[in-house]
Amino acid sequence: MNERSFIFVPEMRIRDTNKEALVKQTAMELLLRDGFDGFSMQKLAKACEISVGTLYIYYKNKEDLILKVGVEEGKRMMKATMKNFSPDMPFKEGLKVQWENRSSYWLKNREASLFYENIKHTPYGEVIVEEISKYFRPAMTKFVQNAIANKQLHFLSFESYWSVAFGPLYTLLKFDQSGKSVGNKSYKFSKKTMYQTLELVTKALTP
Amino acid sequence: MHILVFKTNIETEDHHKEVGVLLSSHRSVIDWNIDKEDIDKVLRIESELNNSHEIISTINLAGFICEELPD
Repeated sequence: MNERSFIFVPEMRIRDTNKEALVKQTAMELLLRDGFDGFSMQKLAKACEISVGTLYIYYKNKEDLILKVGVEEGKRMMKATMKNFSPDMPFKEGLKVQWENRSSYWLKNREASLFYENIKHTPYGEVIVEEISKYFRPAMTKFVQNAIANKQLHFLSFESYWSVAFGPLYTLLKFDQSGKSVGNKSYKFSKKTMYQTLELVTKALTP
Repeated sequence: MHILVFKTNIETEDHHKEVGVLLSSHRSVIDWNIDKEDIDKVLRIESELNNSHEIISTINLAGFICEELPD
């Protein structure tokens, strides 16, 4: 068991909302540690010190649990990403808000972020991404369309845009996660490196 | 709605179908599923009534083990 799971294990009977939060957090930790095939309802119940019966009250089976946890985490992340953001913002300002929101969410919710990164490219991910996209795709699309119309952004394919706009940020965050950048050089994320990188990204994307 | 959870030995596809016929026609069952991947072959029922004993005897009569999983 992950050492961290112990921190969340309650000593006495707790309210159901707490129990659900415990189940979700522990599920993400176990999924990250053991992968999808190594994960089971029995292992999760044991790690949470609850009965398997209780787990099945919340979820139909392993797939149902992974989907529900994934969708909920994804929504939480997207909500955090949209904080103080408006699709009507000038491009530079909007991109800055996105970078700030995405990095602070990642740094505060490392397990959830890694879990979401891992699940994205699995069959579960397709369902989850589809569900989450409903909530934020319209705003992000509008933001990009406005920026292009106002000549604040080069006209690019979506993939080119996204990889330049956000790829560098996630590279820095993943360096931070492993504590190392290229060639084992030690690295810790800082606002300073973030803003330096953002400046270059903005230069590349704006006419 | 009540969620009832049982440990069973319903393993094969044929057994699954057999139980399915019983449950789908049961007066209180709204939805049901069996987690065949799980070691306890957990049967989960969404029921209009809190009628675990009735469900257990229905499944037992069909020749399967069915015990309530404590919560």
